[in-house]
Amino acid sequence: MKMKTTLLALTLAMGTGVAAAADFPTSSVDYIIPFGPGGESDITARLQQPYFEKLFGEQLVVSYQPGGGGAVGWSQLNNMAGDGTKIMGINLPHIIIKPQQGDVGFQTEDLAAVYMFHYTPDAIVVTADSGYMTLQDLIDDAKANPKKVIFSGSGKGTANHLAQVQFDGLADIETTYVSFQGTGASVTALLGNQVSAAWGYTTVGAAQGDKVRMLAVAMEDRHPAFPDVPTFRELGFDMVSGAYRGIAVPNSASEEVRMQVSDAIKAINAEPEFQQRMLDGGFALVDVGYGADMNAFIAEKAEGYLRAARSAGIIE
Amino acid sequence: MKRPTLSPTPPDSPTTPMLDFVMGALSPLNLVLALVGVAAGTIIGSIPGLTATMAVAVLVPLTFTMTPDSALILMGAIYTGAIYGGAYAAILLNTPGTPSAIATTFDGYPMAKRGDGDLAVSVACLASVIGGLVGALALLLLAPQLAEAALAFGPVEYFWLAVFGLSLIAALSTGDFLKGMIGACFGLLIAMIGISETSAEVRFTFGTNTLLGGVETVSALIGLYCIPVLIDLVAKPDRHLKPPEQTRGFRLIEASRIMLTNKFNVLRSAVIGTMVGALPGAGGSIAGLVAYSEARRSGSKAKDKYGEGNPGGIIATESANNATVGGGFIPTLVLGIPGTPPDAVILGALLVQGVRTGPSLFSEGADIVYTFIFGLLLATILMLPVGLMIGRFAYGTIVRAPKAALVPAVAFMTVIGTFAIRNSISDIAIMIVLGIIGWAAGKRGFSASPIVLGLILGRIAEQGFVQSWTIGAAIGDLWGQFFGRPLSMVIIGFTLLSFLYPFWPQIKRTVMRSPRAQVVHRDPVSRSARLRDLVTLAIFGGVALVGLNQSADLNREAAVFPETIAMAMLVLVGVAILRLFLTRQVTEVAVDGSWLRMAALPLAMMAATFLFQRFGFAVTAVMLGLALTLVAQHDRYSVKGWTVLLASVVGITLGCIVLFGRVLSVPLP
Repeated sequence: MKMKTTLLALTLAMGTGVAAAADFPTSSVDYIIPFGPGGESDITARLQQPYFEKLFGEQLVVSYQPGGGGAVGWSQLNNMAGDGTKIMGINLPHIIIKPQQGDVGFQTEDLAAVYMFHYTPDAIVVTADSGYMTLQDLIDDAKANPKKVIFSGSGKGTANHLAQVQFDGLADIETTYVSFQGTGASVTALLGNQVSAAWGYTTVGAAQGDKVRMLAVAMEDRHPAFPDVPTFRELGFDMVSGAYRGIAVPNSASEEVRMQVSDAIKAINAEPEFQQRMLDGGFALVDVGYGADMNAFIAEKAEGYLRAARSAGIIE
Repeated sequence: MKRPTLSPTPPDSPTTPMLDFVMGALSPLNLVLALVGVAAGTIIGSIPGLTATMAVAVLVPLTFTMTPDSALILMGAIYTGAIYGGAYAAILLNTPGTPSAIATTFDGYPMAKRGDGDLAVSVACLASVIGGLVGALALLLLAPQLAEAALAFGPVEYFWLAVFGLSLIAALSTGDFLKGMIGACFGLLIAMIGISETSAEVRFTFGTNTLLGGVETVSALIGLYCIPVLIDLVAKPDRHLKPPEQTRGFRLIEASRIMLTNKFNVLRSAVIGTMVGALPGAGGSIAGLVAYSEARRSGSKAKDKYGEGNPGGIIATESANNATVGGGFIPTLVLGIPGTPPDAVILGALLVQGVRTGPSLFSEGADIVYTFIFGLLLATILMLPVGLMIGRFAYGTIVRAPKAALVPAVAFMTVIGTFAIRNSISDIAIMIVLGIIGWAAGKRGFSASPIVLGLILGRIAEQGFVQSWTIGAAIGDLWGQFFGRPLSMVIIGFTLLSFLYPFWPQIKRTVMRSPRAQVVHRDPVSRSARLRDLVTLAIFGGVALVGLNQSADLNREAAVFPETIAMAMLVLVGVAILRLFLTRQVTEVAVDGSWLRMAALPLAMMAATFLFQRFGFAVTAVMLGLALTLVAQHDRYSVKGWTVLLASVVGITLGCIVLFGRVLSVPLP
């Protein structure tokens, strides 16, 4: 009896395994990044690229469709073929905030999100020679000098900006946020002491090494690459946030295709070598697959982002 | 950190390590990569729209299988080649192949027009090699210091640097300063279209999604520079460029002599290029413009005036933009912050390889860094023979090609170049519309360069302005933020010098009209000419009013910059109209040739843009090619001549599709 069930399970597993391998991918897959090359979205796509080819024997071709902070690409995704040959990177909070700011050519619900595979946790970064040794130092300064603590960050209505708004509320302080074009420009301003601190990501800590110090990271547990940096939660601020990145398919894609793409990305995320490279780069992996999980995840995140965006006056 | 260490020698070898790095760069594989990279980069860069950034991006997957130092050498070689290749189109077609070659058009095209295109290409090659060497040597010897210095540049300094770039308008507005300023305001307003980077507001899209991503700079460059050249080409039967009387080789001796008389110019421009390249976010186009501006100011006594075919202008731009390659690697490798857009791609590729750039790279990854720097030096030296040869070929092709083949080929390149930037069909339509605007404005005395300057520098200026404003307001010292910082004061000083210099000799007369107006044709009596000018000015005034009206609903941060510009534009238009009535003089360029042909060119291109998706790219491209052959041909051909002509147009089109689409995997419509 037991033997029989095992056999049955085995045949089933083999059957589905073969079916999935035969259906997807059948040819090379176009992976469109709705941003320019060189950013976090591009880098993580490039990190996935070799593992996709290793696992599925087909090419993953990365191309770029930048413009409007991702809006140009997302507004065109649903015009593309839904047969699994086109997938596009998606980013939170962008896909939630942008449609609320005006007509940007897509609605959050239009995007068929199939997998969220990592996030870059928010972090407060200061230069190595900054006077802020701890998060409390920064809060004390901001309390004594309202608005005079100046943060740099990447973009308006972005993860960095919303993190600043959220943290100001949690810590009951008032700081100034200056938007730069991209993380590189924001970090340049930090290193050049043009600002007091930066709202960045753990990836900044990984890239800049001992030139900078992170005061806290917005994760549930400490980042394995930075065991000495406390989380905001440890310090009494309930904040787990960052920029989440994932994959969407055109909404004409069948349930089957959506599931297959979701499983493929999941399989890449399960590769130990891929995981190690992501962690080394300061990224944090998440696994949110297609279906109820994804819907719940986006709904939960949307609530927090929209609340922060409203209080920042970015949206009505 | 996991890093494949297949370099020929370990970094800690007891012998002199530097020599090992040189030998590493000279390994047969790296030599081949440098050679292939430079050649491929030069070819890609010579096509308007296929920029250095794209040249590097399409080759990233190839580098995954290489060791980090070989990957870097390949990407560095492509990058440096592409920046040089941008000069060909600038000189021969008046269209910068990459944005960093904008200022090359100012003197390069006039030189080509008078039959010195071959000399101009050789001078560009020599200048690029020297500039590239200076940049790479700075990377080798001064990287940490320069990276540190670059950090002193804050938002205010970027703002003033953009204004400094804009000061070139005074020099570039051929014949008419007021019209140049109005054109620059127009360019600045175009730059504001789309979702704003600093405030995330949707601006000036008039409800269409097409404009959400804004007007792409490179496609605008192609439209504003190249389409007018094409329209003028089909209008008349004369040859595009004056062909040489006999084969003159590379004219290397002549070129070297010019380099010697410009030796100070080369070095100054290369230093400017290195320093601007080291500023993250400034890039090659600003470096070229700043160097050009300085060369022009200090070289005003020269025989050939700047802007009318002085090789010094090419030397300044080309040595500066190639110096940004080495300069741009300084923040990329030392700080882990990309100095220029192609560096951003290279940085990403290195991260995938597991190489962490940034503060620790020079100590931990010395083998990679130094092998790469020597590789870059090597690639730059290889650019001399490779560049001269490809340049000679490009010149020969463009000069000898019959107009009926040249026009379709160039039009086809503009289409694929524009599309490839961000995979967008609507960018092609925007490019053509801007081309028509650029052509019409040019005939009315509004030259393209001030518009382009406004477009390129507008975004940088706005970002710097809003950021400085926010910081200044937070620290409660706006005045000090904008004018009190020592570095800002230096840049402001240079800006004033550059703005006022063209007017110094006869400042009074020049406020009304700059003295050098040979290209334009003045007609003090014709009523119709005055009416035409009035209508044009009224249109620009209308654009300014729309800008003001549209800014009214935006939030403060998003509105302050476009509102100021639109207001300034309105005032300038007012002054220009006043001047028109007072002086009764008009700056314009006569239109002659066939209106039918001139109209057919943009119309055929526009029609093709809408047909790509219907009939497929290759079919539509061939049809467009054949249509443009008819539009451009003035000579009578025999049946055999026609067959050869049409067959070669079809051949070129399909050949390019295979070369770019398949071999180089550039995205095609």
